[in-house]
Amino acid sequence: MSNEEFLNMVRKAIVEGNKDEAEQLAQQTIAEKMDLKEVIDKGYIPGIQKVGQLWEEGEYFLPELIMSAECMKAAMEIMQPELEKAQIAMRSAGTIVIGTVEGDIHDIGKNLVASILSANGFDVVDLGADVKLEKFIAKAEEVNADLICLSALLTTTMTGQKKFIERLKEKGIYGRFKVMVGGAPVNQKWADDIDADGYSENALTAVGAAKKLVEK
Amino acid sequence: MAQSILDLLKERKILLDGGFGTELIKDGFPQGTCPESWNEEKPNIVQKIHKSYYDAGSDAVLTNSFGGTTIKLQSHNLEKRCYDLNRTAAAIANEVKPEGKFLGGSMGPTGKFLKPHGEFSEAQFEDAYAEQARGLTDGQVDFLLIETQYDLNEALCALRGARKASDLPIFVTMTFNHHPKGFFTLMGNTVGQFLETMEKEGVSVVGSNCTLNSEEMVELVRIMREKTSLPIIAQANAGKPSLSEEGEVAYSQGMEDYLRFIPQIITNGADIIGGCCGTDPDYIALMSEIVKRSS
Repeated sequence: MSNEEFLNMVRKAIVEGNKDEAEQLAQQTIAEKMDLKEVIDKGYIPGIQKVGQLWEEGEYFLPELIMSAECMKAAMEIMQPELEKAQIAMRSAGTIVIGTVEGDIHDIGKNLVASILSANGFDVVDLGADVKLEKFIAKAEEVNADLICLSALLTTTMTGQKKFIERLKEKGIYGRFKVMVGGAPVNQKWADDIDADGYSENALTAVGAAKKLVEK
Repeated sequence: MAQSILDLLKERKILLDGGFGTELIKDGFPQGTCPESWNEEKPNIVQKIHKSYYDAGSDAVLTNSFGGTTIKLQSHNLEKRCYDLNRTAAAIANEVKPEGKFLGGSMGPTGKFLKPHGEFSEAQFEDAYAEQARGLTDGQVDFLLIETQYDLNEALCALRGARKASDLPIFVTMTFNHHPKGFFTLMGNTVGQFLETMEKEGVSVVGSNCTLNSEEMVELVRIMREKTSLPIIAQANAGKPSLSEEGEVAYSQGMEDYLRFIPQIITNGADIIGGCCGTDPDYIALMSEIVKRSS
């Protein structure tokens, strides 16, 4: 089997959400001492990108996104110790602290954003739902985050996003972390109104938006 | 014996209520707490909202129990209160129900996913809904409305759970998103899959609510009517919400534009009309006139 055929199988496993196959191919990569970095960069990552594309085209829905992100996570977990052993530093796309703001227990969207960001190479710390604003700040300081992502599903709780940015300003740390907001009632205008650095409508646009914000 | 809602449905169009959460918030409901707990703590406010909808012309209103499954209540550590909170939701609403009108038991989604996408088994989902249905039934609602479902498998669990606990008529609505390729739920279920499955299960009434505005609902109702002869519920949102910097919530569609499409929703085949997010008793009062004219 040629290298290209193998990479094709990797991409296919991710696109089809075949976890057993994604894991088995990760193990094979290690056993046969293949170039880990190449398999990830040319196999797994393009696979998850293809999933994003299919979602945008209306071919894939939430279950497919979840399954493919799970496959990605499982494969990366297998390869991670080898990457460390080989001292290949897979360059993290950045460190993100994410959660649903206090008073809001909705986490479906936030979970999806977290797993898609993670599948795209970010180190993601997920604080869960109903997270106190102070906790976002404390965790971001602890892990030296590049980006903080705040989710809110309700018009009553999206005010927490505004309060959060006010809190950063009060503490004199506005600008130290980039802040991205999201959630069903959230839009770009709201993000602009409250001085957030970024907004994304869904889990896939969040990847591009996060990359841009982290690079800035 | 009094006329059932299914009998009334044979005679004319039926009007439900509109948004509930936003009405609670107008009355000081604090963010982050559990709406169902107000059935015990502030029953007078919950009753006032129900009454405002009955007064506006609703033939049936829905109990304050949208998040009342054990799984959803668990987020507030109230899962053990499931039966009581639902029973009370029904009991207090019945106290303000005028004679000849109806009360539906609202059963919204758990907010979690079934395996393999989530942690829960179908049996766990069924139990979560069964406990809620037991409370609502003992509180004497007239029918159960399994609503705002985004996963057909969860809707089926809800249906099985409700049937274990209740002999009442069960209505099921799902929430569809408008894609370039048609209408799909969050999980990718099609309108056809939903209706075919519900017919096979012998559900009395089907339909859709939330997310779509009234203009989009016109088209969805047309598609639903092509695919089923069952009575259809349509409850559209008044567009999308936005929040001003001052904290004022506004819905993009506005009342006049929202109401403009209601006659077409009815003409296209909806039998039960109601509001959803962004609608209030003022909307329902005007919809009542439209429904009367079309019946």
